[in-house]
Amino acid sequence: MTRARRIAAFIASRLASVVLTIAGATLLLFLMVRLVPGDFASVMLGPRATPELRAQIIHDMGLDRGMLAQLWLFASHAATGNFGEDVVSHRPILDIVLEVIPNTLALAFSALALALLVGIPIGVIAALKPGSWLDSGLALLSISFITTPTLVVSVILFLIFAIGLHWLPVAGAGAPGDSVDRLRHLILPSVALALGWVGYISRLIRAALLDTLAELHVRTLRAYGVSEYRIVGLYALKLALVPVVSILGIGLGDLIGSSVVVEIIFARSGIGSLIFNSIAQRNYPVVQACVVFIVAFYIVANLVVDMINALLDPRIAAGRG
Amino acid sequence: MAISLRDLSVDYSLQQGTAHALRGVSLDIKKGEMLGLVGESGSGKSTVAFALMGLLANNARVTLGTATIDGKNFDLTKRNATAALRGRGMAMIFQDPMLSLNPVFTIGTQLGEVLRRRAPGSDRKTRVAMAEDALAKVKLSNPARRMNQYPHELSGGMRQRVVIAMALLSEPALLIADEPTTALDVTVEAQIMREIIGLRDRVGCAVLLITHSLGLVTEYCDAISVLYAGEKLESGTVKAVQRQPGHPYTRMLFDCEVPIDRERHADASQNSFTVISGDLPDPRRRPPGCIFNGRCDVSFAECAVVNPGDYPVGDDAGHSARCLRLATP
Repeated sequence: MTRARRIAAFIASRLASVVLTIAGATLLLFLMVRLVPGDFASVMLGPRATPELRAQIIHDMGLDRGMLAQLWLFASHAATGNFGEDVVSHRPILDIVLEVIPNTLALAFSALALALLVGIPIGVIAALKPGSWLDSGLALLSISFITTPTLVVSVILFLIFAIGLHWLPVAGAGAPGDSVDRLRHLILPSVALALGWVGYISRLIRAALLDTLAELHVRTLRAYGVSEYRIVGLYALKLALVPVVSILGIGLGDLIGSSVVVEIIFARSGIGSLIFNSIAQRNYPVVQACVVFIVAFYIVANLVVDMINALLDPRIAAGRG
Repeated sequence: MAISLRDLSVDYSLQQGTAHALRGVSLDIKKGEMLGLVGESGSGKSTVAFALMGLLANNARVTLGTATIDGKNFDLTKRNATAALRGRGMAMIFQDPMLSLNPVFTIGTQLGEVLRRRAPGSDRKTRVAMAEDALAKVKLSNPARRMNQYPHELSGGMRQRVVIAMALLSEPALLIADEPTTALDVTVEAQIMREIIGLRDRVGCAVLLITHSLGLVTEYCDAISVLYAGEKLESGTVKAVQRQPGHPYTRMLFDCEVPIDRERHADASQNSFTVISGDLPDPRRRPPGCIFNGRCDVSFAECAVVNPGDYPVGDDAGHSARCLRLATP
């Protein structure tokens, strides 16, 4: 098989597993929502609803049907992108979710990009001279980034740069259509979200680099006079990125989780704040739709991670990695 | 231009104390010749190679030693003394070809890296052509395709050819081959040795072949040096040493080789093999007298007291051995 065909087969097999995983996660979510005490009808109508009205609503929503029938109804509609109508705003739930998703994606990806752009160089510098004062200083910095909760970082950044210095806007996601304004609104939340990851990534890169530098192929490069900077920053780094990228895939769930906190503090609309508000209102259909999207995002992100790793390390695509 | 190494001494600091891995080892290799450095595991043969390259582990220290390579003198006690020679005046072929290439870069990229240093200023196209040419010279089939392949797509023997191509591209004055065939199939051994000889003849360099196999030395080398517990016990041309080993250790090493025409018993356990009994002396505390005294079969009282110097053996000018029996006229 040629390399292109092998990579195509690799991607196809991963895509098949993505479809299965989304289906499984949706089923689990469906069952979990039904295990939560209280039913949708009483949430919608309040405690003084008449039994007739309750029965009517339950019938309209299909909640009087069997579990399997309900599951089929939900899954078949969800598969076509129909998550029903929101009982609070009477708008399609899909529209509500799609409206906020770009905000969350912008936040998550800018935080991730920031974490990589800052974290990788810190890790590389630390690995160049292990045990030096610079290495120890960067370790201290990284660990303090990791251990400071996103909540605390958010509040500190918010107080200093938004309220104290007035450099950056206080709240919101910026005026729609005004990309400069939206970018300015993105800075503080993404720094807050990225900081812990800067610490993680730099520590991971340092450890993976030091492991890689002990391997024999590095000695070959040294024997042929390749400079230490090229060895660390290019030849060892590409190998060291593989475990780091794998961990990033798992960590993306945490990134979305932390974005709930950041979105609330900076009053940004986004999937995090939507979930938070919907839970407060017991608006489970919206929560359910949001979680389906987060699961899909998480799985697609991990697929991308696998593909990046297959590009970084050809042995993975060959099934030997 | 001959290569010479003088009085190389290397210490390793270990938790249990300082191990003297090499004590005053001197070697000479003529241009265009191959010197076989033989010795058992732990004798310090690879330490010689890495001290020359300046690639010793962090806990190793060269306490004494100078080298003359390509007409220049180097004080090996200085860290990275020979750094300027790596990839230019010196090249190395390693023991384990499965591990000595970076798994996530193509063969072409790794060969190109050698040329970045050896032929600075050359454009990419020239480098690709030079690398392909080198792969063809070491008889790797389909060189153009190999350039875009990754190490895991090649066999061990093919990977060793790639490393030989790297050495070829760097056109060294000294090539060090550290057990280049040990990790490979016996069937590949002769091919790889042929490529190393081919490289030597093409570039005209001196080759230091580090091996535990006397067979390899007698077949391919011009000269031999025998290393034991960090000391050089004998050196000379292969012919002279083979004809008349000056040191009992060398003689015992030759006796350990099983001749192909030796009579064999039907019951394999009845076959007699020559072994050298005993173990290497403690590298932290050198016993007085001859280093080989504890395992020697012809030692006498003085051997435990007097540390012998290098005495000439026979008529051959370059042949010497470190044995007291040669001192008595």
